[in-house]
This record gives sequence, structure tokens and C-alpha cells, in this order.
Amino acid sequence: MKKFLSVLLLAASASIFVVQAKAQVIVIANPSVKASEVSKNDLKDVFTGASTSLGGANVVPILLKAGTAHEEFLQAYIGKNDTAYRAGWRSLVFSGQGTMPKSLDTDSAVVEFVAHNAGAVGYIGRATLHEGVKVLTIK
Amino acid sequence: MYSKRIASGIIAAFIISAGLHAQEFKIGKYEVQAHGFGTQGYIKTNDNNWLTMQTSGSGSGVFTDAGFNLSSQFTNKFRVAAQVYSRKLGALGDWHPQLDWGIADYKVKPWLGFRGGKVKTVLGLYNDVQDLDFANTYALLPQSVYPIDMRDAMIAHEGGDIYGRAKLPRNLGAIAYDAYGGRRSDSMSSGYPYELKSSIAAYLTHYGGPVYGGDLRWNTPVKNLKLGMSRQNEQITAAGTYQGAPYAESSRHDWTNQYYGQYTANRWHAESEYKRYYRDQIVMSGTPAAFDVDQDIRGWYVGGGFTVNKWLEGGSYFSHYRDFFGGTLAGIITYADAATKDLAKVVTAKFTLNRFTTVKVEGHFMDGAPNEFYPAGFYAAENPQGLAPTTNAFVVRTGLSF
Repeated sequence: MKKFLSVLLLAASASIFVVQAKAQVIVIANPSVKASEVSKNDLKDVFTGASTSLGGANVVPILLKAGTAHEEFLQAYIGKNDTAYRAGWRSLVFSGQGTMPKSLDTDSAVVEFVAHNAGAVGYIGRATLHEGVKVLTIK
Repeated sequence: MYSKRIASGIIAAFIISAGLHAQEFKIGKYEVQAHGFGTQGYIKTNDNNWLTMQTSGSGSGVFTDAGFNLSSQFTNKFRVAAQVYSRKLGALGDWHPQLDWGIADYKVKPWLGFRGGKVKTVLGLYNDVQDLDFANTYALLPQSVYPIDMRDAMIAHEGGDIYGRAKLPRNLGAIAYDAYGGRRSDSMSSGYPYELKSSIAAYLTHYGGPVYGGDLRWNTPVKNLKLGMSRQNEQITAAGTYQGAPYAESSRHDWTNQYYGQYTANRWHAESEYKRYYRDQIVMSGTPAAFDVDQDIRGWYVGGGFTVNKWLEGGSYFSHYRDFFGGTLAGIITYADAATKDLAKVVTAKFTLNRFTTVKVEGHFMDGAPNEFYPAGFYAAENPQGLAPTTNAFVVRTGLSF
């Protein structure tokens, strides 16, 4: 019984951790992007190259090279692992239908780039300072 | 001997990939991206030689291709890019580097874009991405719909496309369209010129002509379900020599229809396509042997895959090819309903070693070996003893991309 309760407690802790982890990534945009709220599908379309607009305006996705926020973003909004995700982009590149989005090393580099480039949309860890950008609400 | 080469190839690919990264540099104020890919394959068959390779006996590793591209996004709307491609597949390809595609692309709105130059032809799910080994589950796509020996025939056109994507009202999903017109110009080291050369000693110097068509795909309200259809019309002319005299071919009525659907769910994907190529041409025109080819080639497949973990994906497809061939020589029907067929059952395992490297191991179990005046994988030149009714093939393919 004790063993069972321990396992249950461990599972509950793990699920709380997962819920908290999912909440750790936020989507940011340059203030020129009119939309403040976007659907999960629209966000996925932009970050997989299927679409280049949010709320009728042209946008440019900015990626993180790796890290927790990157993995969480892919899991929560794209539904692919990093290898499959980048393979999708390379398919567009090698068939002449797209250019690979810029990948930056750190969350703060993403904030810096998004803040200074019209139409840029990126994602960062919630704890990162994000002055000069707007946070998009994902429906 | 080949097993050592395969192992060495995989190890080399893994080591090389560790140092691979897409390169970015600047020309003036514009950033330029450089990307590349390459694959090395090996095929061993139990009987018939396949895809112009000597695959029976100890097998063949003459199955290599590579591509390299540069692209620059000048503005949010305007992009220029080009790719060079080279391959060697048995007797095909001969390592002749060719401009795979080279485009200028202007996207006015999400629902309206223009692309001009040499453009990859969108036809079905995979025509424009068939070379991208890393993106596909299978080492060889279903040959009934995407014959690798005939890759050059439909891969690209010189001309222009109008394309776009729009959301439909009332949550009906989204549609993407692509309409194009231009010219097709086949490589002389591709499947059909080789078939003519090796079977009747006709040597082509030109094969191609105007093409136009389109693709319409619907991302349905059912999450992750895609349906689509493609159409291509063409007006082919061919020129060359046959027994010292001029040889020519010309289309009377040539078209291709392709219908497809794909569903993805978490780790699963399933897809199916049906392709019908109708070929009505005057062959060997201008000679006493001129005849009217009336050919109806139909292929379809059903396939799918399951991602076990980030290293491993399993997949399988069932593929069917049938060629209804008819013809008239001096008004007399010489071939009527000479149908040939090929059923293929395929199982594959795809190993993703890292972000840049994949290795695929695949088994093909084919019933039928079509060889009826149009290439379908099995060529008389490599099978002078005649064709056995069934063929089993073991395929290994390693791919690198960055």
C-alpha cells in the first residue's frame, strides 16, 4: 500500500511539473504585429511555414536553436520533436518553397531580434525579460 | 564486401554529420543561406536486376545523389533561390550536374504568390520533395506513383507558378493551390531515353515540351486530414536518330491526374495516392514503323508509418502498378490491352541518428515485372535472360542533410 501511494505521489508530482513546464514558454511578437491573440492552429501554420500571416499581416518566425523553451514550444504548439520539425523546414528549403527561419542561441537574443524587426514572432522562457515586445495570447 | 562498405558509409555519414551546419553569410546587406543533402544507397535483389543497376548477385551501390542550394530572402515578400542536383543511379544520371530548380518568388499576400524560373512541379504529396530522403519514411517511395528511374520526367518545369493559401469560412479548413505553365525538358540520362537506347537503339537528343497544370489541396476541418488532387497536361516532342535516320515522337493527348489523402495523428501517419498517366503519342513518326501508342498507366498505393521514438520509425506500403498498352501500326491494332502489373509489398525501418543523418533499411516483395515499352523499373538491357515473375529486394539508404 505504501509503495502504491509513493508511486501515486510521484506520478502526481510529475504531472504538476509537466503542467508547470508547459506554462514556462511564452510567444512574443514585434509591436507592429496587430494581433494580440492567435489560435494554436494559426501559430502552428506560421512556425511550420504553411502560412506567413497572423491577423492579416505578414510575420516572420524566429526560432531558438535548442533548450527547454524550444522543446516545450515544439511539444505544446507543433506536436513534433526537433529533428522532425527541422526536417519539415528543410523540405520547404530543398523544394524551393521557403527559407529556413533564423535560429538564435538564447532567449534574450530572440527578444532583442523580435523587438527590432517588424513582423517578427518568437518564443522564449517566461522568466526571460521581454521589454519592447508584446506577448501573444494563445487561444 | 558490400556489407563492409555499407557499415563504413553509415559510420562516415555519422562522423561527417557531427560537423554539419547550415551556413549563412552576407552578400552586401543580404543574408544568404546554404543547404545541402546527399544519399548513398545499396540494393540487393534475389533475381531480376532493378532500376538499371546490377542488383542481383552481390547487389549494387551505384545509387547516389546530392543537392546543394543557396537562397536569400531579400524582403518579407521577395526571395531568390537555386539548387544544383546530381545523381548516379545504375546507368542513369551519370553525375551530370543540373540546375534542379532556380526561382524568384514574390508573395503579394498569403493567398497570392508568384514564382518564376525553373520551378519544382507540385504533383501529389511527394513529387516536389521526392529527393528528400530525410523527410520521407521510405528509402524508395512507392514506385507505382513515384518511379525513381523516371524522376526527371516530372520533377520541374521552366516557367511560372501562381500559388497561395486561404482559410475557408465557417471553419471548413484551408485550401492551398498552385497553378503553373511552362516547358518540360528531360535529361538524356533519364529512364525513357535509356529505355529507347537500350531496347531498340534509338538515340534521343531532345525530349520535352509545353506543360501546364495545377494542384489543389484541402486541409479539412478534420484535424490533420489533408485531401488533394493534381493535374498535368503536356505536349511532348522528341527528336533523335534511329538506324541512321531521324527519329521523332509527338503527343496527341498526354495528361496525368493524381488524387491523394494523408492523415497524421500523434506518432502515426497514413497516406494514399492514385495516379493515372494517359499517353497518346505518335512514336517513330516519319518512318515506316510509325505507330500510335495508346497507353494508360495507373498506379496507387496505401501506406503509413509509426514513430516509435526519436531514433526509430517503422513504415509499410502496398503499391500497385498497371500499364494498359494499346497501339496501331498502319491502322492495324498491334497491341491491345497488353496489361502488365506489379504489386509491391514494402516494409521499412528508418533510423534517425541525429538531426542530420538517417539510415533506412527496407524490404520489397514484388509480384510482377512490367517492361512494356515504357520504363517501370525493370529494363531489358540489364535482364537479357528475360524477367522472372517475382523480385525480392533489400534496400539500405543513408542520407545526410544540413
